[in-house]
Amino acid sequence: MQNPLDTLRKIRQAVENRPAELETLKAAGAKVVGWINYNVPEELILALDLIPVRLGRGGDDHLVEHGSRWISTKNCVYVREIVGLFAENEDPYVRAADLVAVDATCLQVFRTGEVIRHYFGKEVAILGVPRNFHTPEGAQYFRHELKHFAGKLEEFSGRKLTEEKLAASIALLRGIRSTLDEIYTWQAADNALITWEETLDVVQAGHFLDRTAYLELLHELVAELQEKQATDEIHDRFEEVRIFVSGSIIPPGDRKIIGILRSLGARIVGDDLWSGLAPQLNVDVKAPTVDAIADAYLARVPHGALPYLDLETDQRLANLKKLLHRFHAHAVVYHTLRYCDPYTFKGNETKQVLQAEGFPFLELHTEYAGSDYEAVRTRAEAFVELVRNRNLIEA
Amino acid sequence: MSTAFELENGIFAGVDVGSLGTKSVVLRGNEVAGKVIIPSRLNSEEGGQEALDLALEDAGLVRSDADFIVSTGYGRISATYANKTVTEITCHAKGANFLHPNVRTIVDIGGQDCKAIRIDKNGAVVDFAMNDKCAAGTGRFLEVMANVFKVPLSELGDLSLRATQAIPMSSTCTVFVESEVISLLARGEDPANIIAGIHHAIANRVGGLFARVGIESEVFFSGGVAKNIGMKKAIEKALKVTVVQPVFDPQLTGALGAAALARAFAAKEAQARLASA
Repeated sequence: MQNPLDTLRKIRQAVENRPAELETLKAAGAKVVGWINYNVPEELILALDLIPVRLGRGGDDHLVEHGSRWISTKNCVYVREIVGLFAENEDPYVRAADLVAVDATCLQVFRTGEVIRHYFGKEVAILGVPRNFHTPEGAQYFRHELKHFAGKLEEFSGRKLTEEKLAASIALLRGIRSTLDEIYTWQAADNALITWEETLDVVQAGHFLDRTAYLELLHELVAELQEKQATDEIHDRFEEVRIFVSGSIIPPGDRKIIGILRSLGARIVGDDLWSGLAPQLNVDVKAPTVDAIADAYLARVPHGALPYLDLETDQRLANLKKLLHRFHAHAVVYHTLRYCDPYTFKGNETKQVLQAEGFPFLELHTEYAGSDYEAVRTRAEAFVELVRNRNLIEA
Repeated sequence: MSTAFELENGIFAGVDVGSLGTKSVVLRGNEVAGKVIIPSRLNSEEGGQEALDLALEDAGLVRSDADFIVSTGYGRISATYANKTVTEITCHAKGANFLHPNVRTIVDIGGQDCKAIRIDKNGAVVDFAMNDKCAAGTGRFLEVMANVFKVPLSELGDLSLRATQAIPMSSTCTVFVESEVISLLARGEDPANIIAGIHHAIANRVGGLFARVGIESEVFFSGGVAKNIGMKKAIEKALKVTVVQPVFDPQLTGALGAAALARAFAAKEAQARLASA
């Protein structure tokens, strides 16, 4: 069924037009920074009048196989597909990237940066990330790393960062993040006009689009929702199976488990994915300086690869619990990619914490190949049966 | 179906289309009236229909006598003959609960997967874990091993009980274990010790699943591999539990659970009709 929201169509169209738009901009002298991972601050890229593009796709086993020629098969399929994208060199954003920026949050992605530089001759800038964010030494290290990284970007752009430009880019990204957060409330609401799947597409459109034009589209989308959707209130609605998705990355192109859950009649109502809502939360840059950006990135919801903390202070788990209540989720599907060690390792602990809070939890361990489709579907279906039974009792 | 009498005397069938075997159980009310196990066919729908008809025949019935049919197993998606399809995880839980109401933990080892399931007092699934896409720890794995030793699958368990020690397997991959077993045989190791090692390797994989879902009280062992006495002993040792003595063919647990669910669904539909009348 066609979604009645006009803005969604406009966003899709904008994404379709973007590769050609980038070509025109590059022909006129613009430079593109393609970035991968979690902690590269787009604030710096935008403040230097560079064009940020978040690279990486998923769901294509052919590219995974291609990438496996250059990086060990003991890396996750997302990483191998990124290498495959560079090896194939047909993706318009990979082709457009004049510089690839990679932060060392997930160490497999960090290694990918080295592989890209070594085998495909791309200029790569690496941003070091501390393994423990919560010590003064860790914070100091990241400030130094970010200054060094900013210096590389300045050199690459031929410009200097200014307070004025930083203030503008910080404000722009703050606007994008808060508007996306607002759209997440709309998608989880009763009788929502936008689904979570469409919301994820909107988030990921932001990987590619011009950030100023993107924010305008997001404002337009919220205005349209306010006009056409009766309420943004969220209730439990036990006749639904309301699923929250957590775990490994679900990048553009990978819709395997989402498709399975939808085919089973479950409704996804939220996520804390690093390709979804997580990067939009708790980024509070207090001043237009590189140090303030470093501090803000360290203080936000951490990626699963960082850091391992005791349960009382783990922000990732605290955030996850908060979101489950915010979206009135009934249960959690925790998606892990094969060889995604950070999220797989933390799966059991996350399960114990959430089950203690009364949330049924299912880990779906998979990759992009279709060979395990039915096995994954059986697990998901049994889980939906379990949640439905519980809801019948609750209702 | 609208009265308690009809529910007690109705015909409810479950069909479990697995990767190696297709099973069907027919209940008359709450009692088993017919059952059958046949090798799975390439066409899972035809295999399911055949098993269903044979189980009905075993009960002295025909298809039109069945009041409600539930299909399960990997072939459930192409079961046009069924009123409803349910996953094998839910069906094994229901079947185990039907046979042993006090059991809260189930290990199911079928042809192509193994599962650790925890249930509540009503037989509803509380938590579960399944092996990922790999034949190690499944019935198929044992079948390959039986071929290596050139013994019938049914004798593998008894052979393992003659072991003086279980030789550890360094690999968990079916293909590599096959090579490892051939090397061990060439080195002159006692086949019984190797077979015991294979059983313990599978039991340890099952143990990995239970590390995720936990174990409560006695364990019910379902699926075709539950007929293997060596596997039962290996699981008891690895999980430090007691496996309950089967009172019904464990390979039929899923089909039995499907039949029990067919009865429950029929009851629910009857209630809904009465309420709207």
